[in-house]
Amino acid sequence: MSEARKEILKNESGNTEIPVIELRNVNKYFGQSHVLKDISLKIRKGEVVVVIGPSGSGKSTLCRTINRLETIESGEILIDGVPVPMEGKALAALRSQIGMVFQSFNLFAHKNVLDNVILGPVDVLHRHRKQAKEEALQLLARVGVADKAAKVPAQLSGGQQQRVAIARALAMHPKAILFDEPTSALDPEMIGEVLEVMTSLAKDGMTMVVVTHEMNFARRVADRVLFLDGGSIIEENTPEAFFTHPQTQRAQDFLNSIKEH
Amino acid sequence: MSIQALLTQFGDKYVQALFTTWKLTATSFALAFVLGIVITVMRVSPVRPLRLLAEFYIQIFRNIPGASLLILLVYALPYLDMIFSYYTCVLMACTLIPAAFCSEYLLAGMNTIAPGQIEAARSLGLTFLQIIWRVVLPQALRSSVLPLTSLLVSTMLTTALASQVPLNPQDLTGLVSYINTHAVGGVTAFFISAALYCATAVVIGQIGSWIDRKVRILR
Repeated sequence: MSEARKEILKNESGNTEIPVIELRNVNKYFGQSHVLKDISLKIRKGEVVVVIGPSGSGKSTLCRTINRLETIESGEILIDGVPVPMEGKALAALRSQIGMVFQSFNLFAHKNVLDNVILGPVDVLHRHRKQAKEEALQLLARVGVADKAAKVPAQLSGGQQQRVAIARALAMHPKAILFDEPTSALDPEMIGEVLEVMTSLAKDGMTMVVVTHEMNFARRVADRVLFLDGGSIIEENTPEAFFTHPQTQRAQDFLNSIKEH
Repeated sequence: MSIQALLTQFGDKYVQALFTTWKLTATSFALAFVLGIVITVMRVSPVRPLRLLAEFYIQIFRNIPGASLLILLVYALPYLDMIFSYYTCVLMACTLIPAAFCSEYLLAGMNTIAPGQIEAARSLGLTFLQIIWRVVLPQALRSSVLPLTSLLVSTMLTTALASQVPLNPQDLTGLVSYINTHAVGGVTAFFISAALYCATAVVIGQIGSWIDRKVRILR
């Protein structure tokens, strides 16, 4: 953990700092099923929050409601204290401040790697193309795929595509990045290279929400672990406390079921 | 009459007719293409009235025979005080119908795009029109080159409707009627026109395949 973030976390109690992301009593339904139940959550600047839980627990949905890829039925979501707008240009503008990395990478298939990264900066932030390209090349170097700038996504491995997707998110200078199971679609030997990039982002103080099954990553990198089950946050703790002394039976069962293989 | 004799007597007219057919084809296809894009964007827009209007358009113009549409344009529009030249009426018929098909092909092309890419574009903060323009249309177009090539050929064949109205210069089919009322061209006169249609279609097909290979998206 970086010194800067330790400072931030130390000030945790009683500070009046506005959280980067705040959820207030969020409820979400898919038809009859109540997938997010009264979720309240604050994520501070520089914090890395890892969301874990069994499949169907609502963790991906939680991640996707933050930038309104999923609508919510009730409650409030605020980014830097500003409620996420319902639709239109205001919503688009707010989304541009929050990066997102998906399980299936979702790179634009018709654009090469460099053009994938500069699309947002040029079209949304109205940066000069030349300037955006220079920065994109730096970001691609940072995630270790600078030599692939002229390739199209289909010519890259999954791990390389996901690192490009991270560079694409970074190019927007986001206030936070949401990772929705970023390594779940990867072959085992490629998981490490993506987690490495994410770890270095965390060290640099990026605010991150990470939905993942990578328990070692959670243990090493998270400032806080949220355990979701049945659409509710069942436990919320430091990784050390959560993994060594889970407070609930459900969390205990979940951890045991993972250990078994 | 032999092909030789026909070409000697009507060669100039065939050349003119070929150019008329080409001009009608190129103009109406270009217009149909633009209109097709507009209708397709309306069909996927978040605004319900636009979607309904676009669906209505498709249902009308995909299902009306070209000859009926031309008759309506020529004989019915004047009742609405809208009088267009014969050439414009043919052009409209050859635009309105292919535009509906163009939209169908583009919509099919859009369906090849993984929804995740749209979500990625939304999460970058792109607006609806930016997503359409930057992400959706480029991919839809690149995956519909072959059907659009067929549409160009079928638009050319649709321009034979021009033979049903007085035009000067005439199109390839109109010219056959002209020849057969001024001389005895018989089937041979048709044959020459048909050969010119076919030759054009073959060239269009080759160019279409070439473009398709160039722009096809690796997946």
